[in-house]
Amino acid sequence: MAGFIQQRLLRWLDKRIPAQPRFSLHRGNIFIFPSRFGWLYLLLCLTLFILGTNYQNNLILLLSFFLMALMLVSLFSSYLNFAGLNLQPGKLANIYAGNPVSFPLWIESRKEGKAGKLHLAWFGEKVQSAVELDNFTNPATLNLFSAKRGKLQLPRLTLCSYYPLGLFRCWTHLAFDFHLIVYPTPMLPLWPVSHRDTTSAGQQSVSCVKEGQDLDDFDSLTDYRLGQPLYHIAWKQAAKGQGLLSKKFSSQTQQSGWLILHHIDQHLEDNLCRLCQTCLEMDARGWEFGLDIPGKVIPPGKGKEHVRQCLVALALVKGVADVTS
Amino acid sequence: MLRLNPSAHNNAHLLLTLILMALSLTLFEPLQLWVLLLVLCAVIIRVSLYLNWQKHQLSIRTLNLMAILCAIVLAYFGWQLGLLLGMLNLLVMASSLKLMLLASRRDYFQLIGVQFFLLGAALVFNQNIAFSLFYALLCVLLLLSLACHINPSARWPILIKRVGKLCLQALPIAVLMLLVLPKLGPLWQMPTGKGTQTGLSDKVSPGDLAQLARTDDLAFRVTFEGNAPPMSQRYWRALVMEDFDGSNWQVHPYRRKLQERYKGANQTFSPQVSGPAHSYQIIAEPTKQRWLFALDVATSQDSHVWQSHDYTLQSRIPLQSNLAYRVRSYYQTALHEGIPNLDKRLNLQTPEQANPRTREWASQLKAQNTSAEQIIQAIAKFMQQQEFRYTLKPGRMPVDPVDRFLFEEKAGFCSHYASATAYLLRLSGVPARLVTGYLGGEMRGDRYMSVYQYDAHAWVEWLSDEGWQRLDPTAWVAPLRLQFGLEQAVEFEQSFLADAPLANLRNIEWFNNLRGLMADMDYWWSRWVLGFDQQNQQDLLKALLGELKLWKLLLFSFTLVAVIALLLAAYHIRPWLQARQNLPHWYYQKALKLLARYDIQRPYWQGPQDFSMSLATKSDKQSLQHFAILTRCFTHLNYRPLTAQQKKRLVRQMRHQLRKLKRSLAKK
Repeated sequence: MAGFIQQRLLRWLDKRIPAQPRFSLHRGNIFIFPSRFGWLYLLLCLTLFILGTNYQNNLILLLSFFLMALMLVSLFSSYLNFAGLNLQPGKLANIYAGNPVSFPLWIESRKEGKAGKLHLAWFGEKVQSAVELDNFTNPATLNLFSAKRGKLQLPRLTLCSYYPLGLFRCWTHLAFDFHLIVYPTPMLPLWPVSHRDTTSAGQQSVSCVKEGQDLDDFDSLTDYRLGQPLYHIAWKQAAKGQGLLSKKFSSQTQQSGWLILHHIDQHLEDNLCRLCQTCLEMDARGWEFGLDIPGKVIPPGKGKEHVRQCLVALALVKGVADVTS
Repeated sequence: MLRLNPSAHNNAHLLLTLILMALSLTLFEPLQLWVLLLVLCAVIIRVSLYLNWQKHQLSIRTLNLMAILCAIVLAYFGWQLGLLLGMLNLLVMASSLKLMLLASRRDYFQLIGVQFFLLGAALVFNQNIAFSLFYALLCVLLLLSLACHINPSARWPILIKRVGKLCLQALPIAVLMLLVLPKLGPLWQMPTGKGTQTGLSDKVSPGDLAQLARTDDLAFRVTFEGNAPPMSQRYWRALVMEDFDGSNWQVHPYRRKLQERYKGANQTFSPQVSGPAHSYQIIAEPTKQRWLFALDVATSQDSHVWQSHDYTLQSRIPLQSNLAYRVRSYYQTALHEGIPNLDKRLNLQTPEQANPRTREWASQLKAQNTSAEQIIQAIAKFMQQQEFRYTLKPGRMPVDPVDRFLFEEKAGFCSHYASATAYLLRLSGVPARLVTGYLGGEMRGDRYMSVYQYDAHAWVEWLSDEGWQRLDPTAWVAPLRLQFGLEQAVEFEQSFLADAPLANLRNIEWFNNLRGLMADMDYWWSRWVLGFDQQNQQDLLKALLGELKLWKLLLFSFTLVAVIALLLAAYHIRPWLQARQNLPHWYYQKALKLLARYDIQRPYWQGPQDFSMSLATKSDKQSLQHFAILTRCFTHLNYRPLTAQQKKRLVRQMRHQLRKLKRSLAKK
């Protein structure tokens, strides 16, 4: 039931506040309603009014009216403080499934004098962090997490503020036009590398890249990157406090190969994870490699852009469920 | 489990703590001492948490134990306190316990809500100017605490400015609401505190009134619409006592029962009135009782005033705080029997025993005289011949007080005279009763009259064929009391306000002036703030609108709504005015909007100059040129050091270019 309501709400929100690359808050996308304390406060005003009337006491009545007027005035103040904020997501590299990353959000304002806490949360989830508008450094960050590989549409971002007296909750649900590719989680063991003779297609020999094998000569040190195997870390340098560095080896024997996934079966997700790990490994070793997976063939190559292409291809492979249905 | 300290250096919590303490201290009288001590404990705990001397909060188990203990103590004492004071004590107790526990946002908000309510409740008990100002301050501080809670990193001056602004915006609206919203009568019965009742009581033994007359507390204030009645006619009736047991007078139980029944059925007595009348408003000081004061045959239209068949007025709510009501007194109308035969029957009852000498003398009087007037004259003659004295320090008369007074002491206060006379009349077959109230009142200028407790008085009413007649036996022995008041009447014995503190300061002139000034301020406060009622409201509207008609009222309400909307708009519009103040920016933005209308948007990352360059392909040459000049002016104005004259010239140029740009775009 709750899920159904949330679905309806999201559909309505898609119409009301369609996705945009950046948002400026105004009356079209702000919601405002008394907070829980606001309702308590209204009840209090009513009680004070009854108390004042029953004791025929003008001062209590004045107090009650004053508190009511204050609520009215704070409605405007609350809205004015919230409206006019400009929000824009920061740059974010693609991420691996299962690894949380910080999602940066830039908050700016055309006008001076914005104040109060701004609570940040993903739609339907708990408040993750709060920034105080009169004292914070851009960008504000939120944890973003996806357990599944593939294309990730950013969930709606909920921002709310209780400024100035906590009587009103001003909030908005923003959908940013912001796509992320979530790569599969790198996983061992490595995928076997095939050697395809370019002249006579179809003939191929398979060999496995095993850990510790074929790693001939130490070549150089590079920055450690996520996904590289731990045993490549130069621990000696790490102990000296130089940060995590990764040893790069040059191999004389094999410098190119193909990673081939023939068909989609129930082990698809695991296979993709292994392929992902292998891509990173090959790149770390400086090999040329090509990727051949159902629906996509990427000719051998190397370099950052090539790895990125491969990883994107891996992330976007249709799942078992999609193929069978 | 130990709980960590959420209050360390938390200003919002500290402020809330201090407010609770201040509020409880002002409620020193209605609160129980142990509740105050509990508040003090909570404050100490909170302050040491704030200063981080104490790192952990009390455990929930300790607190629960304490709460149960407190609840038992309160339940034990609460029975005697009555509902109102009981509730107040409970509220303060609960909030101090909550204060010890205060950790989450929810606790905090609940506590703030309760503080606001306590503030309202405190206004039931204390309403004079000083307290009201203090409570206003506390209210602002509470709001400040809230603002601090919402925005903890802001500095105090900023918070104060913010809250002050909100308050100043809200205040006119609140005052407007108070002035204009129709005032309702009490919706239902409210509990009253069982504290010490002050002023007259509904049971009088002759010595009581003399006690009361030794204090100089204010009883009530009167504002007359026309001329005030002369001194000797200012008999303020409050209570009619018809039951005499030989020494004490009290309201007759039967009469009381009758009043309850009429009140229950919501029937009020409306006397037949005719002739001229005094109109006035009375603001009574709190007495915690129900009866009110009025002259002669009085009627009141106020919804919270109820009239009894003995011509007295009663309030539907106990006078927990100042109460204002309006009265018309018809001073030439006779007081006919409220309920025929009943009055007569009740007022002939005399006790069987007690006062044998008086009874004997009364039977002689009855034999010698035929009419009531003659009997009265005989009593007066007796008192004058025997040289009765009027005194504020009557001797004690525990047994057969009337005998003792008439034949031994021969000195007494007004209630002795009234009591003895009424008793004598009853014994002689004339229905008579004792009326207590106040006689006199001190006029201040021609504006208002103050009546003090030392004006307390008792007199007699006897039933003739024309109705109840007022008879004041005190006048026979102390005519000065009528003409000039108590102070003159007892001057010879130096007993006036003898035991009141600062009494001898009354002779110093500047002190009296100061006292008068304070009284004036207090009067103004009680008349216009505490005593602002339906009638005042209508008068105000009439003064504004003339004759009250429906269309006028409707128009007026619409105007008011408009005024409030305008007020809000004024708060709202300020940012717009500010934007207009920075003229170059304003013109540039207008130009951008113009271009946007023709589908030329400036990307947000592009500076003005780059944007102007990038336009080359997008628009016609002329508009482009205008916009380029406008952009140049804008950048110069913003980034070049210029003299005032140059600035003016550039701004003017911007305006021209904007106009030209508009024209050339429209042409396209």
